Amino acid sequence: MMPQLEGLLQALNAGLLLGAHYGLMCVGLSLIFGVMRVINFAHGDFMMVGMYAAFHLFALLGLGALFGSEAGPFIAALLAGPVLFVLGYVAQRFLLSRVTGTRVGSLEGEGHYAQLILTLGLSLILQSGGQILFGSVPVSIPSDISSEAWEIDLADGALVLFINQARAWGAAIAAALVILLVLVITRSRLGKSLRAAADNVQAALYMGIDVDRAHRITFGLGVGITAVAGGLLASSYPFTPYVGLEYVIIMYAGVVLGGLGSTVGAFWGGLLIGVIQQCSALLLPTQLQNTAIFVVFLLVVFLRPQGLLGRVSERT
Amino acid sequence: MLEIDNLHAGYGGSSVLKGVSLQLRQGEFVAVVGPNGAGKTTLFKTISGTVAARSGRIRFNGTDLAAIPAARRPHLGIAHVPEGRQLFPSLTVMENLEMGASTEAGRRDWARNLAQVLEWFPILAERRNQLAGTLSGGQQQMVAVGRGLASSPSLLMLDEPSMGLAPAVAEFIFDRLTEIHRQAGMTILLVEQRVAEALESADRGYVLEAGRIVLEGTHEALRSDDRVRQAYLGM
Repeated sequence: MMPQLEGLLQALNAGLLLGAHYGLMCVGLSLIFGVMRVINFAHGDFMMVGMYAAFHLFALLGLGALFGSEAGPFIAALLAGPVLFVLGYVAQRFLLSRVTGTRVGSLEGEGHYAQLILTLGLSLILQSGGQILFGSVPVSIPSDISSEAWEIDLADGALVLFINQARAWGAAIAAALVILLVLVITRSRLGKSLRAAADNVQAALYMGIDVDRAHRITFGLGVGITAVAGGLLASSYPFTPYVGLEYVIIMYAGVVLGGLGSTVGAFWGGLLIGVIQQCSALLLPTQLQNTAIFVVFLLVVFLRPQGLLGRVSERT
Repeated sequence: MLEIDNLHAGYGGSSVLKGVSLQLRQGEFVAVVGPNGAGKTTLFKTISGTVAARSGRIRFNGTDLAAIPAARRPHLGIAHVPEGRQLFPSLTVMENLEMGASTEAGRRDWARNLAQVLEWFPILAERRNQLAGTLSGGQQQMVAVGRGLASSPSLLMLDEPSMGLAPAVAEFIFDRLTEIHRQAGMTILLVEQRVAEALESADRGYVLEAGRIVLEGTHEALRSDDRVRQAYLGM
């Protein structure tokens, strides 16, 4: 009995910690979809750029020496956010703005076809460009705590829980960022303008809200947030320029699970994906972990197509 | 204040406005009436910049609007209360009003404007934290008008504020518009299909048909005009 219980608790704990990272990734993607109604296929690849940004910032700025090898990787992950914010802002300004926002009225299918092709193209460019710039040898940020664990003794040595320290700190940072973002979106004037632009682009223009600027900020924020999530994982998992593909699938599953366009929902969706992935490892071979995610995903799509936290009709 | 000169506009291959000229002076209440499809809404959208003018000129307080993007025009003092209200349904009543106050003047005068709007539409104070999408049609229209006023405009443009409302509710809205005009000296440009009510509230009116102004005059002149009486007032 005890070994099985221990295995389950261990999987739950690992799932929740990893899931918080997934949750943060999903929040970034969901923000872009929620505000701009753009399906960003390049989101995983922007995250990959974020992971490399964290990796190179760590080395270039000597963050390991400055903040120690415990805190350094986290600082690097947080710094990847602003870098990717700028990249996202610029990508929106010069590329995506041509097929999104105030221009969709004049495009076929409200610009969705053009957005699909453009973000797919961006994804390919980022992957190939990444390979040229960064090479294809897997790298990771050296961290002393990525394999350290706190041991929590639950029953006099019969039941010991191992909590990975890097993962726990990462999850705490992820949760804090999500709370911060939710506060910005619900309370600040900027957040309200973003929601207003999401509700009704034309009415937002009538209010004098610069919708194009709101979209640039949204896209920057969205990829920046996901980049931080990627950066947090970059010390535990070696990655290559093709890492985006693995994660973008998890992100979409999480965002749909949580209810498309719901920021908080996306976080819970990502968290759930983490738990399912880790718990499925108890029963299934590792290769089938992602299959388990998609079985649950399909069940939700069949039984509750609006997502776990989504509203049936979001827009009037 | 507003001078429109030989304005042409349309969508894709079709032209909707075929040379509209119209003037509005500070403090006036002017109604534009006409049948469905005459181009009333297009006229408003061209003024607020979400539809591009093909030729002709729109000047607001002496500024040519041609080079000014839609999102900048509210900051000049133009408030557009659009057809069908177009609220932000997932924002609360209060947040909708706050979005109206996105202009510099609106932010500066926020406390005063809010008090004024809640005085004109007291029900909104009760519903302040309700999501705008869950309000009744009449209450939504009040939010839409309030949202326009929250920007501290010098020109308030209203597109079919009575659309889809019960007669008593529509009358309440028209009464309030008259009050906003008289009490606050607001310059109002109103587009309406309810011709009788619109001409009653306004100082002057224009009749727009098939993209052209076919008639203009004071409200007495229009209301006693045989063509208007026959076509729009059913007399």
